[in-house]
Amino acid sequence: MKTKQNQANHWIQVAILAALGLAAVLSLILPQLLQRRREPQLLSLSVMLRDTDSSGWSVARQGMEQAADELGAELRFLTLTAANDSAEQEALLLREINGGAAALVVVPADPAALSAALNSWLVVCPAVTLESPMEGAAGVVSPDNALLGRQLAEALLEDWDGGGVVLLDTAQSRGGVADRLAAAEETLAGAGVPVAREELLPEGDVRWVMAFEPTVTQRTAEEKETEGRDFALYGVGTTTAITAQLERGSIAAIAAWSDYAAGFLAVRRAVDAVRGGTGTLTPLPFSVLRREDIYAPENQKLLFPVMSSSGR
Amino acid sequence: MNVFRRLAAQWGERYRKMSIQMVLSLSFTAVAAAGMLLMSVSLLWRITAASEELVAENSQRLLAQANLNLDSYLRRMMRISDTVYYRSIKNTDLAGDDLTGDLSLLYEENRDDLVSLAVFDGEGDLVSAVPLSAMKKEAEPAGSDWFQDAARSMENLHFSTPHVQNIFDDPDYPYRWVVSLSRHVQLTRGGVTESGVLLVDMSFSGIEEVCRDVTLANGGYLYLIDGGGELIYHPRQQLIYAGLLEENNRAAAAYRDGSHREEFQGQSRQVTVKTVGYTGWKLVGVAPAGSWETSSRQLPLFGLTLLLFSIFLMAFLNYLISARISDPIRRLERSIRELENGLAGVEIAEGGCYEVQRLSHAVGSMVSTMRHLMDDIVRQEEQKRRSELEVLQAQINPHFLYNTLDSVIWMTESGQQKEAIQMVTSLARFFRISLSKGKSLIPLGDELDHARHYMNIQQIRFKNKFTAEISAAPEAGELYTLKLVLQPLLENAIYHGCASAEDDGIIRVTAYREGEDLVIDVEDNGLGMRPELAASLLDEDRPELPTGGSGIGVRNVHQRIRLTFGEGYGLTILSEPDEGTLVRVRLPALSREEADRCRQGEVL
Repeated sequence: MKTKQNQANHWIQVAILAALGLAAVLSLILPQLLQRRREPQLLSLSVMLRDTDSSGWSVARQGMEQAADELGAELRFLTLTAANDSAEQEALLLREINGGAAALVVVPADPAALSAALNSWLVVCPAVTLESPMEGAAGVVSPDNALLGRQLAEALLEDWDGGGVVLLDTAQSRGGVADRLAAAEETLAGAGVPVAREELLPEGDVRWVMAFEPTVTQRTAEEKETEGRDFALYGVGTTTAITAQLERGSIAAIAAWSDYAAGFLAVRRAVDAVRGGTGTLTPLPFSVLRREDIYAPENQKLLFPVMSSSGR
Repeated sequence: MNVFRRLAAQWGERYRKMSIQMVLSLSFTAVAAAGMLLMSVSLLWRITAASEELVAENSQRLLAQANLNLDSYLRRMMRISDTVYYRSIKNTDLAGDDLTGDLSLLYEENRDDLVSLAVFDGEGDLVSAVPLSAMKKEAEPAGSDWFQDAARSMENLHFSTPHVQNIFDDPDYPYRWVVSLSRHVQLTRGGVTESGVLLVDMSFSGIEEVCRDVTLANGGYLYLIDGGGELIYHPRQQLIYAGLLEENNRAAAAYRDGSHREEFQGQSRQVTVKTVGYTGWKLVGVAPAGSWETSSRQLPLFGLTLLLFSIFLMAFLNYLISARISDPIRRLERSIRELENGLAGVEIAEGGCYEVQRLSHAVGSMVSTMRHLMDDIVRQEEQKRRSELEVLQAQINPHFLYNTLDSVIWMTESGQQKEAIQMVTSLARFFRISLSKGKSLIPLGDELDHARHYMNIQQIRFKNKFTAEISAAPEAGELYTLKLVLQPLLENAIYHGCASAEDDGIIRVTAYREGEDLVIDVEDNGLGMRPELAASLLDEDRPELPTGGSGIGVRNVHQRIRLTFGEGYGLTILSEPDEGTLVRVRLPALSREEADRCRQGEVL
């Protein structure tokens, strides 16, 4: 009996010693293992625009780079040889997916076609869209397009004193832009304003024009300036050129949002999707600005990004 | 309370089951672990505090350096402003001269840091400006904060918060962020002085360059605010402007210079503030709490590892030391337990420290004394047994001697001298063998001779009323036997078997070997007895019956044999009335050597 008790005591002490030794070793090893696990892998993200160059997305790009820098990702910016070429966009994105891209940030030229082409791939390579929503995507970063269209139309209505409004219908296939247009059309029609959808700025006497894409807004304002035409243009976008056009009076009002925030949020959501997050995106806040609003302190922050060259 | 009692009772129960080594080991380890834990916590607390102080000192040092650089930069801008004012404006009569040349020179010298230099009159109209000389049509400098600050406080230089300069008509629309340095100046126009405002637009990048390279420890950063908390520079400024990030800049504006702890968005952090001279701006260094509290969380874990390893080492040493202390006690306890179990030849283990050695020695002495006492008892018992044996043997002689001598007297008186001589001769030989030099074990031949002499004596006494046949098998001839076992049996055979019989009696003694035993049969053809009576003759509880012979009887012989050789030996009596009696003596078949060892007291 005594011997058995002594044996039990002996083994209890050996067990305590072993537990202490194991705990000491584990406390030495575990933090390093956990730290190694915590160190996120550098993600490769492909950013696909629907334009031939990225100059119109320079601010958004800086927001993306800021997010990539903070979240441990590297970005590849891709543009098309022809603007809004959906087929080329699909081919390039498939190439990127096959090339090992962890996620995609896309400004879809044709969301429906792109969704159909990438649908089976979006499980392994999540995509976040800018401007227009896309089925199967991990999220869309854009303002509330319908609300934007409505408020832009209301800004026009504040100035309207008669005459028809030309709605530049440049993107039937892009849902976000189409939503803006539809909401503006509905608002104007509701106010009894005659509207006409046109793919190109019509020649002749036009008094009111609405554009729903930054590039179209800028191009229309340039036409107005170069051709000396006189119409009130209501558009979207916050590029320096558009702001200058607004300041010069070529554009009556713009709906502006932070491209920097859009780029940042898109990359952050994409990285989050790769790492298993299920966060949701809320619509970007936007403002409808006129010429006299440009230099208000808050609008300066919105229209003229302060680009820290250091980043963080 | 009951819980504590129950726990105490359980612990007490557990304690009673513990070995001394475990009690020592666990107690020492627990005390050492508690001490080390206390020291570790204290050390960790001190290191954390020291680390926090170190981080604060580091932040203050970096902020002091940044402040120096920023102050130097701002003073350079102020010197530019002073140069424009005191060397150009004060020496220029605007009625005839133009400031543009001097302004251009200064601008060119500092174009990396400057966006524009401009002089306005009191109404906000442009007097002179470089590099752009035309204002936007809609520009209203007099409505700007920098203009109003200068007009309001004439003695001071005023630094604005960053803004996009929108006064000058630039065909490129660069929209550059600037920090405006403005001051009230006295303009001279046609000999008359008038108020004006001198504007020095500093490039925002100049301030950014001063601040951006300052990196605080472990993810800390630095930002710059004006006296009201308005953000001037922040490494993530655009994120804040875009509403994606918040900074605690308004609260930081209220902090005094030095280090402070603050909670912001659920995060504890150390904020170090340094006011930039003259401007009232504040450099704010932010170090997340993790940077000093854990030193990347490694310090507490490393401390934990050290603590656990120390406890492990201590426990191991305690285990060894307690084992060294308790092992001698355990060996002593084991020896005593073996002793209790009756194990012979147990050595009491002695060892360990002084007290245990003394204890072991005392126990050893006690055991030795006990053994001596037990040996004495055994020896005394042996002595007693031998004495008893000798008494039993001695009981034979007086009776037999009395009867024989009585017969010799009778024969001498009746003139039977020849028979008397024969009888005395046999008696003498009988006693010589009886003596056998004091040996209790004698050769079987001597014992049979002894029986013959006895029978000779008795045949003379009983006038040959019976005959005796004594023989031994050859294989039994060399064996040894306990002496004087046959004579009492022959005596019984004579007195109870043949003396009263009407016919001539025959007494036959036959010795032979049976396995490992020596068997001697003493058989007579006398009266015999009932088997139950024969069986009871050897019963020790049976009262002694008068025999008419030597008076000792077979029981004496039976007891002697069993005392000497054990329970497996002795006599067996087989008898039937009128048939005779057979007394069988069973002894171990002893060789000479075995008999010698037996004489020396060895156990067979």
